[in-house]
Amino acid sequence: MSKPKVAFFDFTCCEGCQLDTLNIDGEALVELLDAVDIVEFREVMSDKAGDVDIAFVEGSITRESEIPRLKKIRERAKIVIALGACAHIGGINCLKNHLAMEDAQRIVYGEDAEKYDTIPTRPIGAVVPVDYVVPGCPINTAELLRTIKELLLGKTPELPNYPVCVECKMAGNICVFELGMTCLGPVTRAGCNAICVSAGRHCWGCRGLVDDPNLNAQKDVLEKYGLSVEEVLEKFKIYNTCTTEGIK
Amino acid sequence: MSSIHINVHHVTRVEGHGNIVLNSQNGKIEELRWEVPESPRFFEAMLRGRHYNDVPHIASRICGICSISHSTASILATEAALGIEVSEQTTLLRRLLFNAEVLESHVLHAYCLAAPDFLGVKSVFPLVKTHKDVVLRAMRLKRLAYRLAEILAGRKTHPISLMVGGFAKLPEPEQLVALRDALAESLTDYDATVELFASLTLPDFERQTEYIALQDEDDYAFISGKIASSDSGTAPVSHYLEVTNEFCVPHSTAKYTKNNRDAYMVGALARFNLNHTQLHPRAKDAAGTLRLRAPCHNPYMITIAQIVECVHATEDSILLIEKLLDRGLEEESIPSEITAGRGIGAVEAPRGILFHDYTYDENGILTAANCVIPTNQNHNNIQKDMEALVPTILDRSEDEIRLALEMLVRAYDPCISCSAHLLRVSFTNDASTGNDPQKS
Amino acid sequence: MPEHSVLVVDDEPIVRESIRDWLTEAGYGVATAETGEQALEMVKTQDFSVLVVDLRLPGKTGLAVLEAIKAERPWIKSIVITAYPSSETAQEAKRLGAVDYLLKPFAPDDLERLIDDTLAAIPPEATVTTVEKAPAEAPVAEAIAVRETFAIDKKDLQSLYDGLAASAEVLGPKAKKGKFVFDRIKRFEELCLDYDVTVHPPANCLRPPHETLLTMKLGDVSAGEPVLDASPRVLFGVHPYDIKAIELLDEVFMTAHPDPHYITRRQNTVIIGVDCLHPSANSFASSMGTHQTETGFDLLLTDIGSAVMVTIGSERGAQLLAEYTGAREPTDYEIATQKTLRDAAVEDYKLHLDVARERLPKLLEDHYDDPYWEEKSENCLSCGSCIMVCPTCFCFDVKDEVSLDLKGAVRVRQWDGCMLSDFAKVAGGENFRHGKAARFRHRIFRKGKYVLERYGMVGCVGCGRCISACLPDIASPVEAFNAIAQRAKAESARRLISKVTPQPDLYAPQPAKLVRVEALAENEKVFEFRFDNGDSLGHRPGQFVEVSLAGIGEAPISISSSPTREGSFELAIRNVGNVTRALHALDEGAQVGVRGPFGNGFPIEALEWKDLLLVAGGIGLFPLRSLVQYVLDRRDRFGRVVLLCGSRSPKERMFTDELSEWKEDPGVEFHETVDGGDASWKGNVGVITTLIPGIDLSPAKTMAVVVGPPIMYRFVIGELKKKGLADEQIVMSLERRMKCGVGKCGHCQINGVYVCQEGPVFTLAQLRNLREAV
Repeated sequence: MSKPKVAFFDFTCCEGCQLDTLNIDGEALVELLDAVDIVEFREVMSDKAGDVDIAFVEGSITRESEIPRLKKIRERAKIVIALGACAHIGGINCLKNHLAMEDAQRIVYGEDAEKYDTIPTRPIGAVVPVDYVVPGCPINTAELLRTIKELLLGKTPELPNYPVCVECKMAGNICVFELGMTCLGPVTRAGCNAICVSAGRHCWGCRGLVDDPNLNAQKDVLEKYGLSVEEVLEKFKIYNTCTTEGIK
Repeated sequence: MSSIHINVHHVTRVEGHGNIVLNSQNGKIEELRWEVPESPRFFEAMLRGRHYNDVPHIASRICGICSISHSTASILATEAALGIEVSEQTTLLRRLLFNAEVLESHVLHAYCLAAPDFLGVKSVFPLVKTHKDVVLRAMRLKRLAYRLAEILAGRKTHPISLMVGGFAKLPEPEQLVALRDALAESLTDYDATVELFASLTLPDFERQTEYIALQDEDDYAFISGKIASSDSGTAPVSHYLEVTNEFCVPHSTAKYTKNNRDAYMVGALARFNLNHTQLHPRAKDAAGTLRLRAPCHNPYMITIAQIVECVHATEDSILLIEKLLDRGLEEESIPSEITAGRGIGAVEAPRGILFHDYTYDENGILTAANCVIPTNQNHNNIQKDMEALVPTILDRSEDEIRLALEMLVRAYDPCISCSAHLLRVSFTNDASTGNDPQKS
Repeated sequence: MPEHSVLVVDDEPIVRESIRDWLTEAGYGVATAETGEQALEMVKTQDFSVLVVDLRLPGKTGLAVLEAIKAERPWIKSIVITAYPSSETAQEAKRLGAVDYLLKPFAPDDLERLIDDTLAAIPPEATVTTVEKAPAEAPVAEAIAVRETFAIDKKDLQSLYDGLAASAEVLGPKAKKGKFVFDRIKRFEELCLDYDVTVHPPANCLRPPHETLLTMKLGDVSAGEPVLDASPRVLFGVHPYDIKAIELLDEVFMTAHPDPHYITRRQNTVIIGVDCLHPSANSFASSMGTHQTETGFDLLLTDIGSAVMVTIGSERGAQLLAEYTGAREPTDYEIATQKTLRDAAVEDYKLHLDVARERLPKLLEDHYDDPYWEEKSENCLSCGSCIMVCPTCFCFDVKDEVSLDLKGAVRVRQWDGCMLSDFAKVAGGENFRHGKAARFRHRIFRKGKYVLERYGMVGCVGCGRCISACLPDIASPVEAFNAIAQRAKAESARRLISKVTPQPDLYAPQPAKLVRVEALAENEKVFEFRFDNGDSLGHRPGQFVEVSLAGIGEAPISISSSPTREGSFELAIRNVGNVTRALHALDEGAQVGVRGPFGNGFPIEALEWKDLLLVAGGIGLFPLRSLVQYVLDRRDRFGRVVLLCGSRSPKERMFTDELSEWKEDPGVEFHETVDGGDASWKGNVGVITTLIPGIDLSPAKTMAVVVGPPIMYRFVIGELKKKGLADEQIVMSLERRMKCGVGKCGHCQINGVYVCQEGPVFTLAQLRNLREAV
């Protein structure tokens, strides 16, 4: 495609994914600006645009009022790409779904609860059709760049369909289960180069699950390594509330 | 002067969503509001019931720019609550990591968010063609700050190795040496930055207000110390509620604060005003070149104070690295003994003082949380500044007024999505302008 | 000096010169020295394989030269020559390392043969030539005694490391977080040679997780530039099972389309092995034969406590040993200690294979459909951990990565494997190995069968890494092998001792009465039998029975009648031995014993609906008659039936009435011939092959069944092949000595098959694989 028009939008999020996009290596950023036309990016630009070729959307939907805005973006864009875990699978924001809505509002709003507009957190894919995804909390900017390059070449961007364990082994890590920790790597989609394990921690599952995760086996494994059933479910709650409920 | 209607929906080049509303008729201001319609994030409710090793991980996601600040404050609060003490090595590493955030955040704000206004462009992107050197310099400086965070914590946005009790992975000495050398080289880039910003003409506006920041005995405080006020001296961190006094306003989903006056300011300018004597030498020189002198009451100078802090953070990082290399890095085990309790962690996020207040049970599960965000604390001051500024510029064109107001908001470098973490709002539906802050 | 050079030391010029001439003519490089001192000087700067030294020399004696050579150049083989023999000098010479002792005068042949033998004792070099980046002043070590073991002091390990680290990246086992990893060794103190296993295998250095294959330009049709990594590396401290794994990778990547990326790395890698004296709890290397190795390394170390034993595996290794250590001959005590430690290590293995590993391929093949695969893989996460830590795995994926300006690209390969869900998925969406069970089975089959069959080397080295890495604990190959072996045992447990219901009368014949006997030819008769209890024989055409006469014996006889003719069965028998002679003497009404039927019979299912070409040569008609009758009794199930019969002479024609019937039968195209005719004979004359060319066949739908004497087969088959018949379409019945009929006594074996079980009927296709058959 000729220089495509690219725009960035956000909903309920921490804006970290957009920020990291700006943090790609200086030379690469200049090259990126040569390859695409960034026409709207509220956090760093005052410009606004009409129709765009590629819309990156960060953030999840947590209020009724966000829905029309998202639909408008879908209308304006040829391709919509979910940017980051919040847009992809709901992200951290899904933790609020576990409190019954009434309880959440009451805890937080007191007697004005009913004046407040909040709905269970949803990924953007639950509201509009989404073409591609750059997962993670935050994203792996290399994956973002690769997605853009592939679209420029007319390829279909694809994500790996194997778990983080593969990348952990490639990185030469010692499996954290052998070091007394527990980890969601075996059912979490790779593409992050096992960054969290390589940095000394474990995988929290922020990139969502592989296509056909063996969740029962993973639960068995976690229980084998000392977690109770409740603790296992708590682990999945942090990012994978929506995915384990089958909400896409 | 006729009627002026300004309704900036979602100010650009700020983090988060904020609106500026100004209605005036014939020189009389009918409405002037800084609105924060940001979606509430429910973090306090979300943290409830979580294990202490997951709490900082989640709290980090309050903000993408100041994730290190939130992680650190969260960790300090958790350690205070659970009775966990950390080693000097850990503290040094945390201070070094914190500098990375200060550097990255300030450079981003100064170059990408604030500077375009001064250079007559809508964003930093056109500058790639016209001022390529400047843009590359900004990218370099950000990249270095990012690299510093990467090496210490795995990545800058939502750091990984930083955890309750210490660091999950230590850097290699060679990496620290390389960083130190790169930081030393970057001072040249900061000199150029100082030169650039010294050449800009900032709006001349002043309003005296109270300044609040952390203050430590020896060092320019970022992650330790007491709460200091320019009006009333110091108070222990545990007294934060009496200092911040959060309250609600109708047109904002974020809360406001005040202390001794009707509003107060936090952030780089507040820190400078209170602690400028503790700055490192080159930073002090930079302040001189930039004509920044304490006390400074011009909010547009916040950006200038940030640049001074960048120079300071760079010098500070070099000193910290040298100290760490001298001591030699040693593998330490993460403590695991905990007791139930409540603790408060306070840090100076790039935008100002940040409090996390947690209560845990004996199993290390969080039972209650409260956060007071820097930008929360500035919202009131922004409102008051607007109220002072607008009368003096009402004779200008609508566009000029709008720009001036936007630049005022941008000067504060607000981090709005952080500030809307919590809602305890009692409000009335404001039908007169048709702007319901409930609707974004 | 060229390889395999000889230094001749003798003070008599005639001896020196004649030996030099003989050896030069024999193709050796030869140098000479007059005195011992001169010889020792020459040895310092030139390299020799063999020393021929006279015992009596002026100045330094031959024995003194031997001693000096042994100390400084221990790999040089010495041959002592002398005109003055004595047993003391012989013993002393032997003690000082002389290979042999020649008395003067000796013939050139003797010396040449001795030198040949001496050099032959040096095994041929490994196929991998290590291209070393040797420093300029490296002493050039010669083609030495590879596999010889020396002893060095422990401190020599440090100088070896220092020497290597000066010009190469050294990787080895080091401690990390309570485990061992194979990683960069920055200081000698980091190296831990006494370890059980590393989390990831050293083979990773030779096939890394990501490797750039090519750099390319977009839009440019020319091939990309290959990217090769020739940086020198040393793997210092590789256990034998990992060495064996690398040998497999060598076989995979260096033969049949040699892979330049692997080869470049491999050729620039020095491998220093170390014996595994404390195997990990999950290792079963001893069961896989990989706990020790004699090949695949440059040097192999064994820490025996007081010293370190070093076995040389290549010239490069010898060079390193010479350059950086003070290697010496080991003492007997040291050699014994090494053996003791190695034997003790073998006892330490906790996991064992319960079945001989040579049986694994067949065992697995027989249990391809066993429910075990489904059951065991239920909890598989498809996480890939087992294959990613495996030293013998090597599958990979290839991807292109482009630069943002879309101008340049690199083609990269990265690890991939059969346990990941999308491994066998194609762009269209079909996944050719779908499901955890299929993938799980494939991996075990790779490890136990496919790799061995394809590359000739064991596919699993028993390192146990996958057992540690697998979170649901299902990956263990030894557990899978043992489980399948257990299944096989369980199945054969039905034949096992107390579980077995024996057939008491397996060898006891059933009584049958001879109801009719008729002569066929001079030595041939046809016998009709009926079982006393009225049972039918229940046989297939082509099977045989064992006929007994108590006290005389038992003989195998083909069944000549079709099972479609019930009540009785016919055996056509030629009088050739004791039993058949006794049978020929029987009258109607006599009793015999019959066991059977045995054998596989003709493949009726493959013959039905086809055109048949039946060829009977001589008494081949005996078994074939059973088929002919069967086919005629079920005529509508077959196409054309062409029947060719041949006899030696008209007198030797048998079943003549039936032959006439068949000739008249419109459903049979009957042709007969005799090898040699006589006055009365009006039919064809000529060997039976002569009948074939005249037959018009549709080769695609014809099956040929040929029975006759061995000599006939070759020619008939030749004609049938000319007719365009494939091997699978030609069926034959073979004769062998058969006794028990139940595959026990062993007499009827052709290679691996038992004729009484898998035969006597075979297709030509099957016989092609049985070298003993024709």
